[in-house]
Formats: sequence, C-alpha cells, structure tokens
Amino acid sequence: MSFNLFDAEEKAIERAKALGERIALDAPECSAGFNELLEAFTRSYREQRRLVRFSDRLQAQLATLNQELERRRQEAETALARLQEAQEVLVQSEKLASLGALVAGVAHEINTPVGIAVSCASHLADATGKLKALTEQGGLGRNDFNRYLATATDTTALILANCERAAQLINSFKQVAVDRASAERRSFALDAYIQETLVSLQPRLRQGNHAVSVDCPPGLTVDGFPGALSQILTNLVMNSLQHGFEPGHEGRIAITVTQPDPDTVVLAYADDGRGIPAEIMPKVFDPFFTTRRGEGGSGLGLHVVHNLVVGPLKGGITVGGAPGQGALFTITFPRVAPGA
Amino acid sequence: MERLTIAPTGRTPAIDFDFDGGVLRLSGESYPDDVATFFGPVFGALRGFLAEPGGPVRFDIELVYFNSSSAKALMNIFQMLEEAARGGRAVTVNWRFEDGDDAMREFGEDFSEDLEEVTFNLVEGGSGGAA
Repeated sequence: MSFNLFDAEEKAIERAKALGERIALDAPECSAGFNELLEAFTRSYREQRRLVRFSDRLQAQLATLNQELERRRQEAETALARLQEAQEVLVQSEKLASLGALVAGVAHEINTPVGIAVSCASHLADATGKLKALTEQGGLGRNDFNRYLATATDTTALILANCERAAQLINSFKQVAVDRASAERRSFALDAYIQETLVSLQPRLRQGNHAVSVDCPPGLTVDGFPGALSQILTNLVMNSLQHGFEPGHEGRIAITVTQPDPDTVVLAYADDGRGIPAEIMPKVFDPFFTTRRGEGGSGLGLHVVHNLVVGPLKGGITVGGAPGQGALFTITFPRVAPGA
Repeated sequence: MERLTIAPTGRTPAIDFDFDGGVLRLSGESYPDDVATFFGPVFGALRGFLAEPGGPVRFDIELVYFNSSSAKALMNIFQMLEEAARGGRAVTVNWRFEDGDDAMREFGEDFSEDLEEVTFNLVEGGSGGAA
C-alpha cells in the first residue's frame, strides 16, 4: 500500500476534472470559469507540494548545520581544555625552572666561602704536616712553632668565618626553597625575607654590576605565603635583567615597601632600564606574551607573577613607567592574607 | 520606466531592475523579517512594468539562500512572468547558482515545472556572464 501525502488533493482534482467534463456538456457557459478555478487549484496544489519539499530541505540543512555546530563546539571545548592543561603544565615548569635558577644562584654563592674554607684547610693541613715532620726529626725551633701558630690562627679564623657564611646562606636558601616548594602559609619579617631572596640572585646581579636597594619598614611582619613573594621578586628581577637592562648598562633596582594603612602592604618594584612600551603594557601579564620569542623568552615570567599576586597574595598588580625611564610594578596586597 | 535598485542587507537580496534595458536582477540572500514590506514594492514595480507592452525581458536570479516565504514570492513572480510570456512577450529566466550547489539546482528545476512559455535556464557557475 503506497502512501501519498497529497492523496486527498489529487483525488479532488480528478473529481473536479470529471465534473468539468459534465459542466462542458450541461452548462458550457460556466465551463471557462470552472476551468480557470480548476487550474488555479491545481497550481496551488503544485506550489504546496513544492513548498513542503522546500521547507523539509531547509530544515534538514538546518539540522545538519546544528549538528556540525555542536560538533565544532565540542571540538573547540576539547581544544580549550587541552590548551588550559598545557598552559598549566608550562606555568608549573616555568616555576620549576626559576626554582632551578635559584638553586644555581645559591650554589654559586655558597661556592665562594666553601672554596676559601677548603683552601685554608688545605693550607693548614700542609703547615701541620711540616710541623709534624720537624717534630719527628727533632728540629722544631721556636720560630717554626710561632709561625705555625700564626698560620693556624689565621686559617681557622677564615675557615670558621667562611663556614658560618656558608651555613647562613644555606639557612636562608633553605627557608626560601621550602617556602617555594611547599606554598605553606606563615608569618615572616618582610624586610629580611626580601634580602634572603635577593641573596640567591646575587651572582646574576653581580655579573652586570647591577645593584638592588631595599627600603622596607623594619619590623613589618606579613602573614601569608613567602614562597609566592620570593617567586614574584625573582621573576621581576629576571624580567629586569632579561628585558630592562641593555648590555653594559649597570642597572639600579629599587624595592620600596610602604603601608598606606596597617592592613595593606604596597610593594613598588622599579628599575631604570628601557621601560615597557605603552602598546604592550596591557599584554605583559598575558600567558605566552613575549618580546623575546626564539631568544629564550617563555612569555610566562610576568604571567606567573600576576597569578601569584592575585592568587596566594589575594592582591593586585599594576604596571607603569615610561619608555626610557624604566619599568614600575606596583603590588598591593593585604598584610594578613584572607582565608586564614 | 524608472530603474528600481535596492541595496542588499543581511536578510534581503539586492534588486536591480533596469526596466528600460529589459534586464532584471535579484541576488543574494532572502529571508526578510516581513515579506510584504520587502516584496510589496518589488511586485508593484514589476506588475507595472509587465502591464505595459515592451521588448524582451531577461530576469537573472542568483540566490544563495532563501526562506519559504521568499520561495512563495518567487513563484508569484514566475507566475507573473509566465502570464506576460503567454501574452506574447519574450521572457527568459536565468537561474544562477554556484558550482556544485545541488540544492539550488533542484529548487530551480522545481520552479521551472510550472513555466511553459518562459525560457528557464539553469546556469551553474555563479555570476559568469551576467552583465
């Protein structure tokens, strides 16, 4: 049994045609008018068929487009999720890389006192060996012994001082490294902590003869995340070294901490480098934005800074300064991090 | 008779009826918010033009997309052209569509069913040759 959507219309047309034949015989004066009506109805029926087909086709197209749209939307969402994952991984590896740089900096710093201690100890061992030989030969004179005492006094003093220096460096680094790795919250003296962080950057700063001045109210204690702060300072210094200072320029960095009110800390970081062109200022915190692509710039340094300021520090950061007059970053954060 | 030109919008096609030259063009997309507002003046001008005796008429249609109301409007236009052709006027419709646009080809074939006196050409390949 075949189904015809327009069965009724077609049957009506058939009946009307039969009627038309009767009218032609019985009332020929009505025939022309009737045929005109029949033709109009037949055309309308064809148009209806056409419109139904047309409309079905449009809706099929629409459905296909909707499916395609949904498929693309899902693709885009998957791609976005993957991109966010990759970005997260890169941000983490950037943090690790700067932790690595910190380790290298501290290792370099510790190398000097340890080297001095080793050469002093070796000198002392030589002198002791000679003294022992003289004693065994029975030829030890008063002058020999006095000379040895002088040597021993000098070298032990140097060994002690340098080992203490090394121990002090290790201590300050240990705290910074633990803070970096653990992201733990604690109270800390801001001034001392800034200094400790700068220790690990000394080799890099000394290379270009750059100087950092810190002006921080003594006794200002911050309750928050020192690891984040240390990372922020490291990245800002690296940014000055990589982008701010031209080769040969002996840069000046000024870190100034103020307290507009007892619960708010404002840390202004300024360098006297090239400054940031106004047109890229809105983009400096964007992930992967770099003016040094292909020259080792990851475009993540300042992004990590921004993340840490708005994340753990629950603060805000602005960028300023003028080309030729250095860059200025102003970080404002609560003295006691909320959510304790 | 004065030429009728209507600039296209996102939802309505371009109209260029050069009545004196006997070349009428309709192109673009057609899914107007209100069919009567858009097609009313077009129908009026076309009806006026066809009512007067005149030379051959060429109607170029090149639509990318149109809705059901526009399809009905097109069928009405074709009917007007068919009547003019029955009245002895030489009428040609060029139904242009892009290469490989099977849907537009089939719509054209459908529309041509009711046209006996009008010469209906399916022209694949877009605006090639249109003046």
